[in-house]
Amino acid sequence: MTVNATATEQLQRAAADLLSEGKVDLVIGYGRDQASQFSSPVFVRKPEDAEALVFDDRCFGNLAVYLSKDTVRRMGKIGMVVKGCDLRAVNVLLREHVMKREDIVLIGVPCSGQGEPLLHKCSVCEQRNPEGCDIVAGDPVEQPEIKAEQRYADAATIDAKSIEERWAFWHGQLSKCIRCYACRNVCPLCYCKRCITEKTVPQWIETSAHLRGNVAWNVARAFHLTGRCVNCGECERACPMDIPLGAINQKMAQLMHESYDFQSGLSSEEKAPFTTFNVDDPETGIL
Amino acid sequence: MRPTKVDEQKLYQATPGWLTSAVDILLGAGVEIIAPVETEPGAVELAAVKSSEGLTLDYANVRLPLKRLFFPMTEVVLEFDHQPEGDVEVKSEPLVSDTELVVMGARPCGVAALESLDQVFHWDYDDLRYSARRDRTTLVSFACAKPDPSCFCTSVGGSPHNTAQSDVLVYRAEDGQALMQVSSDKGTRFIDQLGDLVTAAPADTQLPTPPELKAKFDPEQVKTWLDENFESDFWTDVSLKCLGCGACSYLCPTCHCFDIVDEASWRAGQRRRNWDCCSHPMFTQHASGHNPRPDQASRCRQRVMHKFKYFPERFEKIACVGCGRCVRACCVGQNLVSILTDIESKAKEGSNADVA
Repeated sequence: MTVNATATEQLQRAAADLLSEGKVDLVIGYGRDQASQFSSPVFVRKPEDAEALVFDDRCFGNLAVYLSKDTVRRMGKIGMVVKGCDLRAVNVLLREHVMKREDIVLIGVPCSGQGEPLLHKCSVCEQRNPEGCDIVAGDPVEQPEIKAEQRYADAATIDAKSIEERWAFWHGQLSKCIRCYACRNVCPLCYCKRCITEKTVPQWIETSAHLRGNVAWNVARAFHLTGRCVNCGECERACPMDIPLGAINQKMAQLMHESYDFQSGLSSEEKAPFTTFNVDDPETGIL
Repeated sequence: MRPTKVDEQKLYQATPGWLTSAVDILLGAGVEIIAPVETEPGAVELAAVKSSEGLTLDYANVRLPLKRLFFPMTEVVLEFDHQPEGDVEVKSEPLVSDTELVVMGARPCGVAALESLDQVFHWDYDDLRYSARRDRTTLVSFACAKPDPSCFCTSVGGSPHNTAQSDVLVYRAEDGQALMQVSSDKGTRFIDQLGDLVTAAPADTQLPTPPELKAKFDPEQVKTWLDENFESDFWTDVSLKCLGCGACSYLCPTCHCFDIVDEASWRAGQRRRNWDCCSHPMFTQHASGHNPRPDQASRCRQRVMHKFKYFPERFEKIACVGCGRCVRACCVGQNLVSILTDIESKAKEGSNADVA
């Protein structure tokens, strides 16, 4: 574990100041956690507790998931520690009017990547220095140039298989799904009050953990996130059965990029292809 | 802890490589076998094996809990078919196979968890499918030599060498030699089936000392606080980061809640029993729209209360065996052990306050 001392000190100070000046009621960040393999989310409500905050190379979670939670929102105005990848999810939440920009104080932390070895999503990250935050904690980091083929490498590996091999691959992977919905619950953009899989009249998605139900669930999840998913990789990290959900997300992102020249979450002002109408739309998705 | 000396009749030994030979012998005798297999890099599961190839002994614990072999993730309870003349034909699924099954390689914690499940599934109604699966199964568990840092079996009355519910507990020495402790008739039968592969251990054989695993909390203390604190801000605080997924429950060897669903096409379908979980809001959602556990605080409380208060009150047993899967699986680092140690501290503060 490598602690980023500068970022840690600056974000502790920023959090303490925001809380003592009454600018926020709550700061959500990462805390030291000896018992865990990563620095887990902490909710700081008093300035003197800000020293619980840390920024290291184990800050895996995307804290934006808490922004749509009623219990958290009721605690007052939120200050939140965000990495560049997390910021993309915040941008989508803003674009989708889940909250207003003035409801939240963003403490951006430049991040040269998480995990040892580096997580795949970090090796192709193009947002190492979060832009548009209210406060920046830590020094800027170098941003390598990333090529599209690097971004979608996992999806490309699976795409290279024949249809039969691909089905065999996903058959094997999705058969493992236990329907715990960790992928859904950890996703900052899965904020429906009632998920389609919980609807029973009619029942759209079979809840049984058999292949048919698991395919239905995972396809529904992918469709609902296409053009929205920011590839933060949380679903794959959360999956207790190690299903490579990131590859599905990459494929969605690749299709959106190629079809609409669109990457989700780069700004909160962007117009998302599936929520806008354009007479020049090539409509390649319509058979 | 001092090594325990046991009845020589109950202790057997086998030489390295016994596992593959045992699998070959049992398969040859028409016994079904479930054994530890590395199903993908880094993941070991108990899986049906058709040969002695691909078995592994290198794991702290298997990924999915043992319970799934007796209480499957999803199972057909009955099938129905709406006849053209208006009648509905209902077919109960045939009960499970009665072929002998030997499950090798479960850890003592997962096997001990069956004590809780046995009580639940025989409590007010004998669950025929569960019982049939239990009856046909011989459990040959592998003692833990190296518990994972998140393991805490010794805090909840278990041990890396716990024999509870195991028919045979196998201790494996560094050199691959195995010592087998038999605890039941099924275990004796297993040893008999292996023939010359195993021999009675010498009379002075002592059981190995379990690896050290210090207890992290005292469940009695925890319960004294739970008894008085159904309403407490602690539940709100501790549940803040919980995202309400079911990973902890589904990987838990003692969690046993289920849902019954009908899956049908126009005329015919199946009634299934599926794992369910008290962390999900829908678990307690009433048809009226009311939900008695409306927030994650009440759902987190339920999970802790059920394991450490309600279950012990009803069955005189903690519904937790300390396998640590929930700790390892949680994507936000929600740690049952730290919740329980916090509760224990509160219990101690409370009793000190009373004295003062």
